[in-house]
Amino acid sequence: MRTTLLLSLGAAGLLAASGGVTADNIRPLAETCNNCHGVDGVSAGHSMPSIAGLPVKYLTEVMLEWKKGERFSTTMARLLKGYTDEEITGLAKHYAALPWKPVPQELKAKWIKEGSFIVDRCSKCHGETGAEPDDDETPRLDGQWARYMELELMKYRDKDVKLPHEKMRKTTMKLSEEEVGYMNHYFASAPKATGKKKDDKK
Amino acid sequence: MSTINRRNFVKLLASAPLASVLTVPTAARAADAKRVVVIGGGFGGATAAKYVNRMDPKIKVTLIEANKTYVSCPLSNEVISGHRAIETLHAGYDNLAKRGIEVVNDLVTEIDPAKKSVKTKGGKTIGYDALVVSPGVDFNYGAIEGYSEAVAAEIPHAYKAGEQTLLLKKQLEAMPDGGLFVIAVPKGPFRCPPGPYERAAQVAEYCKKHGKTKSKVLILDANDTFAKKGLFEQGWAALYPGMIEWVPASKDGKVVKIDPKTKTAFTELGDHKAAVLNVIPPQVAGGIAKAAGLTNAAGWCEIQPSSMESAVHKGIYVVGDSCVGGELPTYPFPKSAHMAMTQAKVAAGAIVASLNGVAAPVPYYANTCYSLVAADYGISVVQVYRVENNKFVYVKEAGGVSPTDALPIQRKLEAEYADGWFRNVMADAFG
Repeated sequence: MRTTLLLSLGAAGLLAASGGVTADNIRPLAETCNNCHGVDGVSAGHSMPSIAGLPVKYLTEVMLEWKKGERFSTTMARLLKGYTDEEITGLAKHYAALPWKPVPQELKAKWIKEGSFIVDRCSKCHGETGAEPDDDETPRLDGQWARYMELELMKYRDKDVKLPHEKMRKTTMKLSEEEVGYMNHYFASAPKATGKKKDDKK
Repeated sequence: MSTINRRNFVKLLASAPLASVLTVPTAARAADAKRVVVIGGGFGGATAAKYVNRMDPKIKVTLIEANKTYVSCPLSNEVISGHRAIETLHAGYDNLAKRGIEVVNDLVTEIDPAKKSVKTKGGKTIGYDALVVSPGVDFNYGAIEGYSEAVAAEIPHAYKAGEQTLLLKKQLEAMPDGGLFVIAVPKGPFRCPPGPYERAAQVAEYCKKHGKTKSKVLILDANDTFAKKGLFEQGWAALYPGMIEWVPASKDGKVVKIDPKTKTAFTELGDHKAAVLNVIPPQVAGGIAKAAGLTNAAGWCEIQPSSMESAVHKGIYVVGDSCVGGELPTYPFPKSAHMAMTQAKVAAGAIVASLNGVAAPVPYYANTCYSLVAADYGISVVQVYRVENNKFVYVKEAGGVSPTDALPIQRKLEAEYADGWFRNVMADAFG
């Protein structure tokens, strides 16, 4: 508790020194994120998520959970501990306001089709095409990198990995290895944009 | 500078991709088109050129680079071990040219800070309003007796990626089982601080995979510690037990002389005959930086924390491996691609602000650096720096290396993220 207080005081000191958080702080801060998450948040790397156009609440929560050590991360916690909550909120708003752009990627047609048959495993929260999550805490998935989603599910399916979202963990545990692949390819294919909806199975 | 100007400028920056439909701040409209010249097309220079262009497309940007193809040093150790084709490390300058950046395939031989112009080997004189210097490092071959640029054609350093990388790979492939692979590490600072130790792991992995199990990697080090030491030692022991030996400077690890004919490395007291000898020479800022008087006594370029502007010459910004920054002496900027790119973005923001007559944006510096102990075993280090009263502050609450007691999944994920990071920095700098 004491440490937390000291940390936030330290952060407040830094904030005062940099003159407060304004739009012109966030742009240069966000530019450092481009290194890993792609220019304007659209990733060019299979294992790294695109973050432009994701819901502001989702982005804020995930980043604050990382900062507070409530959610497993590899590098993100180590980065975010360097920024104030205000800056993190600013970043979330910045990226949420940018357009979502499905990334073109090589996918297996058969897996996409198989995924469309079992979309109800994920659709309750992420929407039938992954494009319309049912609340602002849930990320959209349509056109996200399949490899990134595969790695995320690998985390959820490893009980030792600390993740706060129990419902997501339970759901992913129920999937077979094959089904994980099918779902990732289905959502990665951006079914909304390509018109491949659940109804297409016939 | 008026408040209105600043607000307009902020709007312009925030909407950089749409800038063509925006109005220009009054101050900028009245002036002639400004020109920014960038020397060096590595991660630092390419990023600086691209971000100046992104932030204010009305500024003319000229990027001067001697090579037509850039070869990334990050992940080049993976080429030596055969995990990665060298072509995956290549980047050209066509995308930057398509953005409207003038790409000049030439070498800058002279900077005139008073006249604000540069001269090239090809005979051009190009004037600038702001200059970005990003020449990378030069090797001080002379510090090791018997080594030279010519000798490097047989005894590779493989510390500038390309032919050198392929030469070392070929020598590793030809090495007999039981052969000793020696890596001579120079006194720091040098580019890619974990590079030599990642290389040792990649070489051991190659040997293990190709039945050269009697071979060993000997690291002769001019330093007494190294980047991610605990993590590397843990990874080496777990994956390549008994195959990698590290000799610090305090135990006679510093190589002072080599004999290229017999591939022998000499330390103060001993000699080590190698089957493959990999000598990484000590490093200083690229020669053009020194010629322009930008370097300090140690051979590196000091800069203003708020802007990356040279501490010596106004209007000249030094980014990448040739600069020295961070909270010195304990927390220096590591010489990495990621660091070079965040420096370049700070410089670009400061340049665009300065040419538009407004205050520079808040500078943000961060580093993320992955090393591959094996194809599916990655480790990382993070550094976050802030600027307070124009001084660098290393944020101790943030940063640090991957935990040694990490879950096994973390090593796998970090290997995956190394690839994702690489594809994104390539797209960010050269795309």
